[in-house]
Amino acid sequence: MLSSGPDKERKIRRFRTIRVVEHWFAIIIVGILVVTGLSQKYYVLNLSQWLILELGGIDNVRLLHRYMGVAFLILTFVHVFIAMTGVLFRRWQLSMMINRNDFTNAVHNLKYYVGLEKTPAQFDRYDFKQKFEYWGILIGAFLMIVSGLILWFPIQATHFLPGEIVPAAKSMHTHQATLIFIIIAIWHIYNALFSPDVFPIDTSIFTGMISRERMAREHPLELARMEGASRQQILQDSHEKKPEH
Amino acid sequence: MKQAILSFAVFLLGMVLFASGRASAENAAVPDTVGKCMVCHAQRGIVKKFENGESIEAYVDGEKFRASVHRALSCPACHHDFSGDNHPVRRFRSRKQFRIQSTLVCRQCHKDEEVMKKTIHANLFQQEQQGDVPLCTDCHTAHAVAVISGGRLTANETQYCLSCHQHHMKLQFKDGSDMALDVDRSDLSASAHSKLGCSDCHYGFSSEEHPQRNFRTRRDYSIASAEICQRCHFDKYTQTMESIHHSKQSQGDLRTPICTDCHGSHAAAYVRDEKNFSVSRCRKCHPDIYDTYARSVHGKALFNEQNKDVPVCIDCHKVHNIKNPLTLEFHERIPDMCSNCHANKAIVGKYGLSTDVVKTYLSDFHGMTLGLYKKQREALSKPARPIAVCTDCHGIHNISSTRDTPAAVVKENLLKRCQKCHHDATEKFQDAWLSHYKPSLSRTPLVFLVDMAYRIFLPVLLLGLFLQIFLHIWRYAVNR
Repeated sequence: MLSSGPDKERKIRRFRTIRVVEHWFAIIIVGILVVTGLSQKYYVLNLSQWLILELGGIDNVRLLHRYMGVAFLILTFVHVFIAMTGVLFRRWQLSMMINRNDFTNAVHNLKYYVGLEKTPAQFDRYDFKQKFEYWGILIGAFLMIVSGLILWFPIQATHFLPGEIVPAAKSMHTHQATLIFIIIAIWHIYNALFSPDVFPIDTSIFTGMISRERMAREHPLELARMEGASRQQILQDSHEKKPEH
Repeated sequence: MKQAILSFAVFLLGMVLFASGRASAENAAVPDTVGKCMVCHAQRGIVKKFENGESIEAYVDGEKFRASVHRALSCPACHHDFSGDNHPVRRFRSRKQFRIQSTLVCRQCHKDEEVMKKTIHANLFQQEQQGDVPLCTDCHTAHAVAVISGGRLTANETQYCLSCHQHHMKLQFKDGSDMALDVDRSDLSASAHSKLGCSDCHYGFSSEEHPQRNFRTRRDYSIASAEICQRCHFDKYTQTMESIHHSKQSQGDLRTPICTDCHGSHAAAYVRDEKNFSVSRCRKCHPDIYDTYARSVHGKALFNEQNKDVPVCIDCHKVHNIKNPLTLEFHERIPDMCSNCHANKAIVGKYGLSTDVVKTYLSDFHGMTLGLYKKQREALSKPARPIAVCTDCHGIHNISSTRDTPAAVVKENLLKRCQKCHHDATEKFQDAWLSHYKPSLSRTPLVFLVDMAYRIFLPVLLLGLFLQIFLHIWRYAVNR
């Protein structure tokens, strides 16, 4: 099925090095935040207690969680800063922006899954799953940062906010963490590791490269723009080679 | 067969001879004068009157006299001026004076040096120097005098000991103080130890032995005596070894309670199911705390309503292994203590109290941190900071009902309490604590709505994601 022509072997750069580095930071920081955070949320579990004691007690765990929170805050702000300067001064495309197409594509794909459409939707640089995941996590990140800071500085927070904000922030922090954890652990890990499209792993965020064949299949619109070829040509190519999506 | 009959006959003959020999010996031993005196003194109702109005019965039980060690003596041997013909009238001020005179008669034969060889007599004679004359007849009786040793006089050991210890006797201590040695028979029979004999506790003492012991003070004696209890109640004894009272005592504070201080000695009774019992005992040394407790919501219910649900001293402090309540270990255990009742619907439900108080505490910062500090102290032996527990806000012995206290006062007190640890806490900050209430729309709408939003959104999201994944895989499989 897989063709071995030189054209198909060709790799296309999908992510710049800074994105690869950023993703590594995100893995490490969010990983530590999840481990130290969940062990506090589910502190009655033996595993959590073991971990807390291994890390030298709850005070250490809280301290580590807060330091990592600061690192996460910096990571998020750097990301937003780069994105804003990129858009403002380097004329980056707003490729992550959610638009009407994403919703129609989502409906289209659902129809395709259940057999009401013959072909899947065609995507540009990011498909609707990636966009929704990105925005879900970015908004979640802001909520986590804000509620986390309230929990870290409850007395200062109540100088200008009602006292109730503290338990509300606690509720939000713990639930939003669960939400992000679900998105990453289920949705992201499925799409990046276990999905039949990429199994065993989608390496593009680590190498920065993607095969032309996958580009043609998953992001045909972007590929067409890159190669100046007609959209129809790319679509035809990808469907001839691999008729799944 | 013949042999058997013969030996039986010999045995029978021996028995008859023995019995008759005994009888004749006893009869022969009673002197003639006795017969004369007994003409009158064998009758009931003869009374000797004293000047102060007291009297004594002049009846003599002939049977008992014949069984006594003095059976060989004639009446005038002791009653000197009396004989078959002579019956002088003597005057005594009181019954006591008469008996003292009688004792002097005994001591004409039983010389002091002889008598004093026995510790118990020596003890008794010490009292004589203080003007309290020991009367021979108190213990030995007058006409039925028997040899005391061997316990022949009495039916059992307790009676034997009581024959002296029912009388007013004193144990003298080196510091000059003394202690009454008389034991109330009714105390003994009503006590939990009614089936024990005296020597079961007072080992070393018996009808044969009565060792003389010397103690510096009465407290020394009590402390030494309380060591006896562990012979049977070893489990309780080992518990007391862990107690603050014991450690204080071993540091030299002799005021700390010993077994008998709470349980009594000869009157030691069963103490189960008596809420007031322990409170009254603890009160003896801790009167201030008792007063505070009596004014608390628990104390009022105990004393005013005889409520059986409220905690008393021992419910929190334990009974024998009472620990230092000022330690962090004790402080950590306080939520557990309160939970014993306040997490038990069967107990607090009756009073319209919610069991949520424990759950809400444990699931919030303080409860969670407390639990983890406890763990890490045990596992890592890492010193922990004190964390606010129930008593830090509600008070310890002075716990009052939050219903009886105006809400404003509760808030004001709470803020002060918060500021003890959170120094710059403001009035608004204390609202961060939801006062044991679960989030509700009316009380804490913000928390309730955030909670609710996530509770709805999270399952929907989860379901959507799984549906997407399922459909994706399904489409993939169909296409293949």
